[in-house]
Amino acid sequence: MAAAREKNLGNVILRVEGLHKRYGKDEVLKGVSFELRRGETKVVIGPSGTGKSTLLRCINQLSVPDQGRVWLEDIEITHARTNINHMRAQIGFVFQDFNLFSHLTALRNVSLGLVKVKRMRKEEALARARQELARVGLVAKADAYPAELSGGQKQRVSIARALAMDPKLILFDEPTSALDPELIGEVLEVMTHLAESGMTMIVVSHEMGFARAVADRIIFMEGGGILEEGTPAEMFTCPRCERTGQFLRKISELYGETENG
Amino acid sequence: MSAGEILWQSVVPLFSALPVTLTVLGLLLVVGLALGTVLAFAQTYGRRPIRALCVSYEQLFRGIPPIVVLLFFWNGLFQSIGMPRVLVAALALGMRSAAYQSQIFRGAIQAVPAGQMMAARSLGMSRFQAIRSVILPQAFRLALPPWSNEYSSVVKDTAFICVIGGLIDLTRQAMMKVAPLSMRPGIGTQLVLPYLIILGLFYLVLTFSGTALLSLLERQLQIPGFEMKGKVER
Amino acid sequence: MKKLLLVLGLLVVLGLAVTAETYKVASDTTWPPFEWQAGTGELIGFDLDVMRLIGILEGYDVEIVSYSWDIIFIDVGSGSVDIGASGATITAEREQIVDFSMPYWTSNQAVIVLGSSGLNIASALGAGKKIGAQVGTTGAKWVQEQLIDKGVDVQLVEYTLYPLAVLDLVNGNVDAVVQDEPASRASAAADSRLAIVGVIETGEEFGFFVTNGDPKGVLPKINDGLQQLKASTAWADLIKAYMGGAELAKIEAAWTAAAPLLAAKDVVGFASALAAGATSP
Repeated sequence: MAAAREKNLGNVILRVEGLHKRYGKDEVLKGVSFELRRGETKVVIGPSGTGKSTLLRCINQLSVPDQGRVWLEDIEITHARTNINHMRAQIGFVFQDFNLFSHLTALRNVSLGLVKVKRMRKEEALARARQELARVGLVAKADAYPAELSGGQKQRVSIARALAMDPKLILFDEPTSALDPELIGEVLEVMTHLAESGMTMIVVSHEMGFARAVADRIIFMEGGGILEEGTPAEMFTCPRCERTGQFLRKISELYGETENG
Repeated sequence: MSAGEILWQSVVPLFSALPVTLTVLGLLLVVGLALGTVLAFAQTYGRRPIRALCVSYEQLFRGIPPIVVLLFFWNGLFQSIGMPRVLVAALALGMRSAAYQSQIFRGAIQAVPAGQMMAARSLGMSRFQAIRSVILPQAFRLALPPWSNEYSSVVKDTAFICVIGGLIDLTRQAMMKVAPLSMRPGIGTQLVLPYLIILGLFYLVLTFSGTALLSLLERQLQIPGFEMKGKVER
Repeated sequence: MKKLLLVLGLLVVLGLAVTAETYKVASDTTWPPFEWQAGTGELIGFDLDVMRLIGILEGYDVEIVSYSWDIIFIDVGSGSVDIGASGATITAEREQIVDFSMPYWTSNQAVIVLGSSGLNIASALGAGKKIGAQVGTTGAKWVQEQLIDKGVDVQLVEYTLYPLAVLDLVNGNVDAVVQDEPASRASAAADSRLAIVGVIETGEEFGFFVTNGDPKGVLPKINDGLQQLKASTAWADLIKAYMGGAELAKIEAAWTAAAPLLAAKDVVGFASALAAGATSP
């Protein structure tokens, strides 16, 4: 079902310009720039350690870039005077390690942000949290604690937690890399639905099947920079860079092509 | 009077001295808890000069024996301004306990995985909100077992508070009873050892009841699987 | 108006006269018969009653507080306590931190052993023996200075509390215990297995003490009161009551019975009643 979809992508919602980040002597991001449009699903692929995760963290300032600027719509996130908490509330983040709040039930994990950040009343927040859990198919586990959930369930709760905040976009940092193969599917399914419903997403992932089926555009990063950007069709069938093609072939060998969307 | 009655006669005053020990114990734990928490947070989240201050405080109070702290606080500081003995004892031992409790809390805070803070911040929570709603509840549970140890340790420290002249705690009261107890015709020193054992029992009960309560608290607050921390899921 | 002022003035003077001076007396009340805590909770003993009686004679009140031995010197030295009354031997060392009153008691040390050991005073303190004493007392000092420092091969075992030394004696962990005579007699009387094999006349004297320089001017009062007391029958009665080897429980009962006389400030009457009660068959 790898049909190219004609999506009506909106205006530019996120602009990243010249991001540089160095850890000690290692320059992990060497000037990364791109634009993200409303409703777009962008998948970032590339060899490990090429700064893909760092890129995401620089967008919501979990890592502070050494150089470069990021705009969310017309507000510059990287500006010194911007209220970063305010910005982060509009950008969802899904971690590779889930990072669910271990001392709270799934329901309260999802509702906490609403109560603390959006200052919602507790009952309202819980009701909304239940809705989001239903959306990811986990309303039955509302009162379970994270330790009682499987990896796939944890990640889905994590997505619900991000969704509850009504973010303008969601960043996914290798959302399935810590999961057992059997559990990857349920998470990708949720993400696919999200993408199809028009959520703006940036996904760092190795899941080529997902990239091919769901991405509007794919970014190939290597060595701290963007080597190539294009539609799945372009990237997979006739990439401009030799390196892109090499990488994709290797990955497809390892992971196998999945036909699910 | 039988030996048992004589022994009991000397045990009764211990009950009247017990409130002194209990009051000092309770107050010092509160002081240690409040100050220890502040120190822990200051040292974990504060800027360098604040951190240095905390480290100095801890090294100071952990490096000096309880008796010396008590003497200094009483004779050196607070006796002249007429502060009640019980308060001085609680303050002295409390400030010392704070140095130890701070380390417990710091360890607990640091044992909370870094990802918890990241997730909280990524939702838009301020550092303060994240600490209060995410880090603290978890750190608190992690701190309970070592805090129970500190409690046991501190109970024993209270046996020294009689260096504050005029403060009649359990141990001092017992010391006052030993001599007359050992000079009863026909009984002599026979009851001295049993009496000291009974004194020990008082402290044992204090320690045990405290740690038992804390264990109960631990179990009440238990969250399924909370102790498990791992990256790869089943 | 004049009359009102006169009345007020009189009241003030009366008030001043009625509120007597109160002095805080610190004592390590773990040492019968000089100072200890009775079963009723009262702090009694030779030293303490002398202090009380002097107070009556000199017109001041005493507040007796129980302090650990070492702390007494620290606190009297610093002035936070007015008087120390705790069977303290007058030494040149101590004179440097406190001021002593005139001596009020000559202390001799007794040597106690187990009757079954067959030791006499010479063998009890002879080579190879373990001698117990309470830390910081004249007895301990004597063993250290007159035996060990002079090359006699004995071991000094020190205890925080004298009864613990006696306990060790009973259990055979030490060969002899050296302690002030009155306390030793009380211990020996309580346990038929113990025997006093001799008395060492150390010639040391007890004194009451105050802060160096006597800032509150108490010392003259103590000395004067002491002289008055010694001149009266009360002195002999006190000695009879406390140093006569009477059972502690009896002394305690006698004290409780005589207490109203103390409250009534009857010095001679109190001492007499105490002695009578303590020594009654």
